[in-house]
Amino acid sequence: MAAASSEEDVRRLADHLFRREAGKMISILTGVLGARRLELAEDAVQESLIRAMKHWPYHGIPDNPSAWLLRTAKNLALDHVRRESNFQRKQPAIVTEFERRLGESAPEVHDETEIADDQLRLMFVCCHPVLPPEVQSALALKTLCGLSPAEIATAFLASEAAIAKRLVRARQRLREHGVPFEIPAGPELPARLGGVLKILYLLFNEGHKASHGDEAIRADLCREAIRMAEQLAAHPAGDHPATHALLALMHLTAARIPGRLDDHGNLLRLDEMDRTKWDGELIHRGMTHLARSAAGDEASEYHLQAAIAACHTLAPDDASTDWPRILRLYDRMLAQQPNPVVALNRAVALARVEGPAAAIAAVEKIADPQRMEAYHLYHAVLGDLELRRARPCEASRHFERAQSLASTRPERELMARRIQDCAD
Amino acid sequence: MKREPIEHLLLFRHTLPHDDLSPEELQRALDATMAWFERLEAAGQLVAAKPLFDEGAMISRDTSGAITDGPYAETKESVAGYLILPPCEFDEAVAIAKTWPMLDHGGRVEIRPIAPECPSFQRLREMTAHAHA
Repeated sequence: MAAASSEEDVRRLADHLFRREAGKMISILTGVLGARRLELAEDAVQESLIRAMKHWPYHGIPDNPSAWLLRTAKNLALDHVRRESNFQRKQPAIVTEFERRLGESAPEVHDETEIADDQLRLMFVCCHPVLPPEVQSALALKTLCGLSPAEIATAFLASEAAIAKRLVRARQRLREHGVPFEIPAGPELPARLGGVLKILYLLFNEGHKASHGDEAIRADLCREAIRMAEQLAAHPAGDHPATHALLALMHLTAARIPGRLDDHGNLLRLDEMDRTKWDGELIHRGMTHLARSAAGDEASEYHLQAAIAACHTLAPDDASTDWPRILRLYDRMLAQQPNPVVALNRAVALARVEGPAAAIAAVEKIADPQRMEAYHLYHAVLGDLELRRARPCEASRHFERAQSLASTRPERELMARRIQDCAD
Repeated sequence: MKREPIEHLLLFRHTLPHDDLSPEELQRALDATMAWFERLEAAGQLVAAKPLFDEGAMISRDTSGAITDGPYAETKESVAGYLILPPCEFDEAVAIAKTWPMLDHGGRVEIRPIAPECPSFQRLREMTAHAHA
């Protein structure tokens, strides 16, 4: 019979309950089954959600939906292990061990610290260096964030089949290399933590960049990247200045999203945005993390990027932006990682400090011009610099080039407006 | 001749194992289905509803007269649950079935009027009554 007898009694599931529980349950099951059986953990969890979907409409939501799901997933995993008769014959001790830890007599309540440990272990497994970076991101999105291959494909502008292949390859490699389900310790930890931060940074960027894809999925990517980074920061193994710097960068960048479009859905430049629309709560959180990131003497790339984001976010308007400070931060970033995209961004700051001519000279010195030639923002920046030094014809040509290279409609429309600016 | 409103049975068939849905999508489908059941119940349009396990058996007597089990019900499209609607027209039952949220995810519904009496038995009785008249 249906769940409730009166409207007031209707119980609703918490937002994102399934997604959150799926990541947690996969972590817990993988903790028992081992990283080589990641797929079994994923399948059991997926099936438990399907069972809920088939039964709860008739019987109502159980008192403790999370516990119901976990019990069901554990039973399914255990059934599967028992059915592998070959395995049972050869490895009876392991089956007994699984029964002890998954069976009805196993403790139902999991210690929150233990769950946090398992989730972090799974994060380190997904971001293991034996996996290529694009495989790491796909696996993290599938297992930790509960995105389907179709959703991941939308996020990465890849085909669903390609994503499915990546996931299969990921699980294979984890098995082949016998990747352990553990949080790295000792001298190994800093490098492995760096790997996890890099993936979270890429996921966030993928979600944030306005270049492609489904709006809702991209917002999910940003949210999930922040959620995982927060989990990391809350754990002793991940509570590192660079983690806080990354969180500061994510929050300060996400804070500006509400001002990114005008009322007609047009993409706005930073200097055009209505800064009162920016999210004060996120700015506050970002600044808190930025303060915590200052512990220690390391300045990671996230520290520098977060500091630049803070300069922009804290300036009440474009004119009062502390461009000299931003330029100094870009100088340090460029010294750390000579990279044409960083050099291009530095040129934008340089234009505001020393004027457009100096900036154009700097752009002309950027190494790897061939790669930059195909990058629409390279032409957009050059167009802006030429316009700033009152050369509308050159500017217009650059904006036209940028327009032809831009991959989304909002970006092409922004360039169309800039071409119009040149004619005025 | 117009039939009196009678009860209808809805048989919910799930055709796919929903593997391709993410947890978020599954939850949305669940929420929509729960709300659907609640709306029907609130409107007094729900006589009974129960889910069914996928596992089960199908038995029959083969040509030699022996009772055999199987073929098992096709699990890929097993009946996942049933619902009985209070007396209504067939078209109304179909209209209600068409709003079942799982239709969007490959689900299928079979709609069958519940005979108040076995139709052939009823016909037989009518014929007998005629013969005696």
